[in-house]
Amino acid sequence: MNTKVPSKWVLWLSALAILALPSAAAAQESHIGKLTGHASSGKELYRRFCIGCHGPRGDGQGENAPYVTPQPRNFVAATFKCRSTVTGTLPTDEDLFNAVTRGFNTTNMPSWEPLTPQQRADLVAYIKTFSERWKNEKPGTPIEVPAETAVTVESINHGKELFQKLECWKCHGPEGRGDGPSASTLTDSNDQPIRPYNFSVGTRFKCGTTNQDLYKIFITGVDGTPMPSFADVIKPNEAWDLVHYLRTLQVTRKGPESEFMKAKGGSTKAADKSGK
Amino acid sequence: MLFRASKETGNMRAVHSSFRSSAFLVAAILLGSMLLQPEADAIPAFARKYGLPCSACHEAWPKLNNFGQTFKDNGYQLGNDRDAPIWQQPTYWPIALRMTPNWHREGADHMAVYDPATDSIINQGITTHGFDLSGMDMLTAGTLAKNISFLLVPSADNEGAFHFESASVRFSNLLKTSWLNAKVGKFELDNMVSEKRIMTLSNNGGLFQLYHFLPAGDYQASGDPNFVGFGLGDNQLGVEVSGHSKNDYTRYSVAVLSSNDGNVNLPTSRGYDTYLTFSQAFNAGSMGLQRVGAYAYVGQAPTIFLTDGVNVIPGAGTGNEKFYRTGFFGMWYLKKLDFTTMFMHGSESAYLYSGTPAGQTLPLGAQAPKWNGGWVETHYTVNPQLIILQRYEVIRMSQQGNSANASNYGDMDSLTFGYRYYPFMTSRAGFAFHNEYSRVRQRGTSPIPGLDLTTSSVFLGFDFIF
Amino acid sequence: MKVNQILMSGIAVLAAATMAVAAPGGGTVSGKVTYEGTPAKQKPIDMSKEPSCAKAHATPITTEAVVTGEGNTLENVVVYISAGAPDGATAPAQAVTITQRGCQYVPHLVALQVNQELKVVNEDQTSHNIHPLAKANREWNKSQPPGSPAFTEKFDKEEFIPVKCNIHPWMHSTFAVMKTSHYSVTAGNGGFTLPNLPPGKYTITAWHESYGTQTQDVTITGSETKTISFVFKAKPY
Repeated sequence: MNTKVPSKWVLWLSALAILALPSAAAAQESHIGKLTGHASSGKELYRRFCIGCHGPRGDGQGENAPYVTPQPRNFVAATFKCRSTVTGTLPTDEDLFNAVTRGFNTTNMPSWEPLTPQQRADLVAYIKTFSERWKNEKPGTPIEVPAETAVTVESINHGKELFQKLECWKCHGPEGRGDGPSASTLTDSNDQPIRPYNFSVGTRFKCGTTNQDLYKIFITGVDGTPMPSFADVIKPNEAWDLVHYLRTLQVTRKGPESEFMKAKGGSTKAADKSGK
Repeated sequence: MLFRASKETGNMRAVHSSFRSSAFLVAAILLGSMLLQPEADAIPAFARKYGLPCSACHEAWPKLNNFGQTFKDNGYQLGNDRDAPIWQQPTYWPIALRMTPNWHREGADHMAVYDPATDSIINQGITTHGFDLSGMDMLTAGTLAKNISFLLVPSADNEGAFHFESASVRFSNLLKTSWLNAKVGKFELDNMVSEKRIMTLSNNGGLFQLYHFLPAGDYQASGDPNFVGFGLGDNQLGVEVSGHSKNDYTRYSVAVLSSNDGNVNLPTSRGYDTYLTFSQAFNAGSMGLQRVGAYAYVGQAPTIFLTDGVNVIPGAGTGNEKFYRTGFFGMWYLKKLDFTTMFMHGSESAYLYSGTPAGQTLPLGAQAPKWNGGWVETHYTVNPQLIILQRYEVIRMSQQGNSANASNYGDMDSLTFGYRYYPFMTSRAGFAFHNEYSRVRQRGTSPIPGLDLTTSSVFLGFDFIF
Repeated sequence: MKVNQILMSGIAVLAAATMAVAAPGGGTVSGKVTYEGTPAKQKPIDMSKEPSCAKAHATPITTEAVVTGEGNTLENVVVYISAGAPDGATAPAQAVTITQRGCQYVPHLVALQVNQELKVVNEDQTSHNIHPLAKANREWNKSQPPGSPAFTEKFDKEEFIPVKCNIHPWMHSTFAVMKTSHYSVTAGNGGFTLPNLPPGKYTITAWHESYGTQTQDVTITGSETKTISFVFKAKPY
């Protein structure tokens, strides 16, 4: 090999390449199914769509941030509400992609579904460049959501017991109306007041609409808010019982759980009698 | 503009009266449709409401992107249960004002000018230029309650005379599905290639000629108030049922409209028109979203007018005769470069063209005019703050309304190019420096018989909306 | 990535070796933390919304943002070597424990090393959620209903992390995550001791949740004991 580059330089360079490339490249890309998002494309899209609230530095301090409640997400802090991963870990690219696609109900964050999937993937890649955490940490492992159990009186009643035992009512209120004894004192991690979800209104959850989404919400917690993770304290079957009960609290929502309750005579009390 | 054209000629005191009126007529045919200045739905009131920059909804203001189109199609709702006014600050008002102070230069090549020296009419070009104002739009739009939205656009011409450009109420997501929405009032037809969000502003280029085209010599452009004519770009009065998929890729609309070209007070007609549109978008990966669509407008207009012996009884027109416009379009994205392609076929009854009451004998040579037209408009969006654009529009007669006319009589070619620069991009106000050149040539329509008429516009303006 | 890992573990081995050499013998820095002025009066906590906890306290308890002792001593101050100490101290194997008892954190402040295990125990008959409002570390938030087993967590970056229980808004704690193994938390007498310091120049920092930080430089030449004191300015509000 007739080269003028000293061999030790070659070694150094290749070592550097091995060290630097994978982490840097991973932080500049997102992978959602077959899609690969690129931060370089995402940057322009971010400027076009996101900058007003999330700000040029991604710190959630855009020109409209003072007028937005709840506050826009701070991508520098890299704490994300809606994850499939355990509390405190980074979300997966899919989680972020789904959040961008779905939007956050009852907030200023709209659904960006009218953008192409490629554009959304590019945006996900770009917002990951705001925090060093994406270079130093891997996303958490998604929790497993086992197959949903059957909706039964026993399941709903057990869910109700769990609602009591786990003291969900302390914030969400005895009937899930968001009026528990601690509700008025709650603040998010930026010390901004935050209200617990009011099940009786029946609006979409911030983190999705399906029973699987509801399961994930209380198992993984909603990071950055008072809603903790129940991953260590509730078994999968019990978690489904809680899901079934929570659905019956959404009194304005039509669903298999409320239909089931109606068929059983309407109230949880009637269910109590038949169940015990 | 029609007003301006009449004033310019009117200022030349020595103009021979018969030629003056014929020049007026030509100008009316050429530019008549510009009476209704395009209003643009770029609404900082929405940006202020939601905190989104203009560029979130507009590819470049006022052209919508798919996100903005979806927002519009959802009844001005983002769908987060925070759209209704009950969630807004009480001080919030959904109003935006748009106007464009400008300097412009207008030229016409073959005008008829009286020459006192020879006491005859000579063929002369006329050029005027100066500072000027556009008309003003007051855009008020928003939601009244969840899934009930409104749009109200009082619009003034540049002398302050107001009319209601748009006034409609919309009921969105009927039966809880985005596939069913209904709108009642005066509104822009559901044209995906919207003239209300046209990217060009000059006298010649500030409209799609095709959306207002009437064949040269059409009686409907003569100024007879009973014959209102028709323009696909004119806002119409009626009811529209529309629907779309959640991401707006698939869209349809069906509208039933009063047969009077959007004029209030039922001036002529007791008939109804129908407009149908359908479009489908395809995701082409990193290229962007591609959309193709088709449309058809089938209308009728009266030719017989009941009178009390002297005056026409309003709204009592009969003897309806048919006209139609149909075609298809595409919106093509190659990353930052995009093309809008449009095709239209139009035709109308010989009775409308010649202004003959239905059932009576047509003038010699009168027949149903038919024409085809289209355009390609290209945008290069350098970034959300700079867009470069051009459009080439062609209209060709395939059958003259009068068989005595030359076969190319009234054929039109229009070229427009320019750019818009937005020095800042916020969610409070819109501001653009607009520079444009446009040129329109129409065959055989000069006041000097047998000559083509070419008009050109240069436009420099500050387009602002707050 | 593999090369990266090997490199990293190599550094860790090296660091452990230096620590082993440095640990025993050496000098000591000790002293006392006091305050001057009038500290804010601690507010009584109303636990009536949580009867099971209210029962646990014979006398009403107050907030613990400032806890003082006789002779103006200041409790719950973390005194640690912020500069001069060899970095990369390996975490001790045993965990530190924080217990939720009577709807209070016991102890009020927990100091631990980077990557040292923290054991969280709930002795109450009510649910708590443990929510460290970390910035440098991961922010997590876990529920711990009555009777559920203790869990452990680690923090991998140096940080004073405010901790709260959102269900019981009066509950506040701090996790003082230390890079160094040389730290001490003052008790009621305000005293601290940092033993086993090899000769060298050190910056000693005292941190208090309400009064912020103070630093002093100390030079250790042999096995002597240097006595220093920190005086915080107390504010009555």
